[in-house]
Amino acid sequence: MLIRYCFCGFWRAARASALIAMAVGAFGLVGPISLSAVSAQEFPSKPIKVIVPFKPGGRTDVVARLISEKIQEKGWLDEAMAVVNVDGGAGANAVNQMQRDAADGHTIIHWHHQLLIAAAMDLGNFGLDDFKSIGYTGGGSPVWAVREDAPFDTLEELIAHLKEEPRSLVEAVGIGTIPHFVGAMLANEAGFETRYVTANSGADRLRLLLGGNADIALFAASEFLAQGQELKALVYFGRERLPDLPDVPTATELGYDVTWANPNWWLAPAGTPDAAVDALSSALDKAIADPEIVEYFRNNTLEPYWMDGEAAMEDARKTLDQLEDVAATIQ
Amino acid sequence: MGDAFTLLFTWQNLALLFVGTSLGIVVGAIPGLTASMLIALTLPLTFHMEPVGAVTLLIGEYVGGISGGLITAILLRMPGTPASIVTTFDGYPMARDNRAERALALGILASVVGGIISWVFLAGMSPALARFALQFGPWEYFTLVLMALVMLAALAHSSMVKGLLAAVLGMAFALPGIDSSTGSDRLTFDQDVLLSGFGLLPVLIGAFAISQILRDAAAPVSKERPALPKSRLPVYWSDAKVHGLNMLRSSVIGTWIGLLPGIGANIAALMAYTTAKQVSREPERFGTGYEPGVVAGECANNASIGGALIPLITMGIPGSVTEAILIGALTIHNLQPGPLLFQNAPEIAYGIIAAYLVANIIMLVLMWGAVKYIARVAQIPRAGLLGPILIFCVVGSYAINGSFVDVWVMIAFGIIGLGLEAARVPLGPFVIGFVLSPIAEEQLRASLMMSDGNFWEILQRPYALLFLALAVLTLFWPAFLARIRDRQGALKNERA
Repeated sequence: MLIRYCFCGFWRAARASALIAMAVGAFGLVGPISLSAVSAQEFPSKPIKVIVPFKPGGRTDVVARLISEKIQEKGWLDEAMAVVNVDGGAGANAVNQMQRDAADGHTIIHWHHQLLIAAAMDLGNFGLDDFKSIGYTGGGSPVWAVREDAPFDTLEELIAHLKEEPRSLVEAVGIGTIPHFVGAMLANEAGFETRYVTANSGADRLRLLLGGNADIALFAASEFLAQGQELKALVYFGRERLPDLPDVPTATELGYDVTWANPNWWLAPAGTPDAAVDALSSALDKAIADPEIVEYFRNNTLEPYWMDGEAAMEDARKTLDQLEDVAATIQ
Repeated sequence: MGDAFTLLFTWQNLALLFVGTSLGIVVGAIPGLTASMLIALTLPLTFHMEPVGAVTLLIGEYVGGISGGLITAILLRMPGTPASIVTTFDGYPMARDNRAERALALGILASVVGGIISWVFLAGMSPALARFALQFGPWEYFTLVLMALVMLAALAHSSMVKGLLAAVLGMAFALPGIDSSTGSDRLTFDQDVLLSGFGLLPVLIGAFAISQILRDAAAPVSKERPALPKSRLPVYWSDAKVHGLNMLRSSVIGTWIGLLPGIGANIAALMAYTTAKQVSREPERFGTGYEPGVVAGECANNASIGGALIPLITMGIPGSVTEAILIGALTIHNLQPGPLLFQNAPEIAYGIIAAYLVANIIMLVLMWGAVKYIARVAQIPRAGLLGPILIFCVVGSYAINGSFVDVWVMIAFGIIGLGLEAARVPLGPFVIGFVLSPIAEEQLRASLMMSDGNFWEILQRPYALLFLALAVLTLFWPAFLARIRDRQGALKNERA
């Protein structure tokens, strides 16, 4: 395990091995005193590896690191948590990496609903049954935006236009990615149709929209706020309005039953003992209530909340059903 | 712009730029080791640096790598990099004629002048071009990339058929993975490791570094030792008058050739050399140790870097293998080169521009002061270098994803590269085909999605038509090609 850490990148390696060394050192100090209390089943008995299926730097990675550091700082788990980035293969690489280790809670994944999309699109050899859900630590929702000079000021106007002239507007999406699914869920619900243009990153969507080569695109609320004046948000896909965007209505308010609250989802391999999952979820529950974490979430248009493992899995299954309807239309 | 220089002038960034440039010069001076190889190998080290620092290091390596080649080109007639092939034409005869110091002095000076003139274009044009390029949609990107592919395959190598063949082979290897236009898996043979396709870096390191190591391991050791420069490097005030016009012309040619995606520094140098010869009053003296020959080539090859950085930062289209790696470096840091880079990450966009200028100045100081020592380093038997480089290749490929699959991919592409070179199929178009075809595919399919499958919508896109016309012109301009072919004897071993 140490070797695997070491090659994940020179600095990461240095950091991870320092963490392990510290953790081992701490255990050595505490060990002799608490030895009688530590039974073989005690969790955790070694540092916990948190796999993030993306490159370092994205939202999922940052949240994983913040929460891991907080848990460690407060000592809510007896061992360190080390974040390991395993990107590529629509998450399949990360799942394979997780399944190579024992299902004892010492290797977990921090992901989001891209997992459901991969399952709906049949990418990779994994499904929800391969996981035990630990819980959601909050999440964030996107907005649908048009150029500032677009002739629509509300979603209603846009939909009316599309119903009058079907397929007259171009939506920038990456086929089989979150923007595509969210847009398609709304389109199915409201009964309109757009044309697509491929754009696989937020930067591409922004480029096409600003350059006049697309009319509509989905952005994370934080991306939208960072861009500022050149865009106009028509609808927010959260459950409630976002405090940073008080004038942008939610889809639910407008009468469309579409929400997309992309969670920070913590997952363990199926077969992980309940005791380990409980220990992890109690630490995560405390972390997401920590004032510093709450502040980070609020400043980054994320909503801090805790949803326990079973409720999260139920929510995910419901969303997966909707996604499968959309996936059926493109394959 | 001023802010970018302020940001650049932290001691860390300057140190990185210094390290990058000196590494680049040394590697550039050693025949067989190229700037692309160096950059591919150091990229994994930059994963956890600040983005500005990472880019600074790589730009330094790029500038140093192209410049260092002139030393061995002049002293040994072995161009350290393909970009310096032209420098051997007149530089080596000068060295034989006991004018090595003069040739080095002119070569270094010309490199810096070329760099600075192309910097003026880079700094002056990029922001405006980025604003302009924002209106480019999928049609324009598709035709632009197509033009780049055709130009590289057709112009840069001895045989157009082999160039095109290499490009098509490269494209084929880009096919496996998740189809970007449908989101479904394609040609993955149910192997999860193929879901993200072949990684850019394992392919690049394999095709360039591993195949080179394998080839070198089999090559006889060269016994030739260069005559080291003895005295100071002589330059005169009168050089400004004698070579000024040539420098200006060659730098402008270099910049514009560099600007065209897909055409490397070597072609830029060749074009500038040919032009200098054509307008010269003494064309017969070119090739016999004539100073303007050295000046033209070295101005143009350095100027082409500045030119090539323009499409890189304004449109995100790599003009060469080296730039494909630079784009990889930026995407690792969640930065996407393209029209919005100036808006969203101005510190990076302007940082690249500022770093390019400073790297040229550092290069001047280093080369001027240490040319003697660099020439000596270039004599280190390559056998001693191959082992450590191989270790770097393996560690670097592993570090990308912490997965050994990438190492196997790297080794496989090393063997493929060796085979292709043995069949005299050039590696440059192979790798560029691999890098550019996913962009071309995605953009073409996006165009057709937008137009509901109607290909004729391209007729309403004037810029797309222009790029398409240029691509067609490149393919069917035999007179032009014939003239390029005349020079190919010297370009046999080159790559992008």
